[in-house]
Amino acid sequence: MMFPMFKQLIVQMFRKPFTNPFPAKYAPKSMKKFMEDVEKGKAKINPPVEIPDEETFRGRILYDRDKCIGCQLCIKVCPSKAIEFKKEEKKIRIYIGRCIFCSQCNDICPTNALSMGNEFLLASDSKVNDELVVE
Amino acid sequence: MIPKAFKRSLWVFHVNSGSCNGCDIEIVAALTPRYDVERFGIKLVGSPRHADVIAFTGPVTKDMEEKVKRVIAQAPEPKVIVVVGACGIGGGVFHESYHLSGPIDKLIPDAKFFYVPGCPPRPEAIIQAFAKAWEYLEEVEKK
Repeated sequence: MMFPMFKQLIVQMFRKPFTNPFPAKYAPKSMKKFMEDVEKGKAKINPPVEIPDEETFRGRILYDRDKCIGCQLCIKVCPSKAIEFKKEEKKIRIYIGRCIFCSQCNDICPTNALSMGNEFLLASDSKVNDELVVE
Repeated sequence: MIPKAFKRSLWVFHVNSGSCNGCDIEIVAALTPRYDVERFGIKLVGSPRHADVIAFTGPVTKDMEEKVKRVIAQAPEPKVIVVVGACGIGGGVFHESYHLSGPIDKLIPDAKFFYVPGCPPRPEAIIQAFAKAWEYLEEVEKK
């Protein structure tokens, strides 16, 4: 064949770009207006890259209050001491800001009250808002 | 008075103080073709004097305390700091260690902080933090 590159060139021409367009393909004129449009439903945020495996992915921690028996094993095992014990209620409070998503508390929990979620878009301007403190 | 150019094409200066390099790699990963933050005009620059936003990683070590303060003093107003990773937010695994002089927001009280939890966070979470910083700069400019 005279042009061995020819086939590749044609393929490249019709291939979609490798870039994942999160949150928008191009920079919007005004980010604030874009976010308002998203809330109204006019604009849409492109989804982030899919997580590799939902079973083993370690996102924001999920806490089942009713299952928790207050044994404090998770507090003992937490490497970053992100878990606090509430004495009166015998329940725990987890600070996601300090959590390192190691899932050691999930493994040691005797009642399976803790599990890892899939949420990872957690950026905010506050350390202790509702999203970043799990009770 | 803040000039108009500030709210677009955020230039980022990256400061590392005691980070394990995980978050630094994740910041670089956001620049790769897969995530490509340069399509928004976000890029890493070599001097804090050129930067609109400072990306900060790691808990502040005692040796670096003065240098970190000096670097952030050189950045222009309004100071916006994106703290990447659990270490910068509350110390992470290095919390209450003898060689730390606290998380960054204790040292620099008059800056706007955006926190990205994770150890390390995914590049999308870092992009989301920059989008929030962008929104904040637009708001500041209007006043």
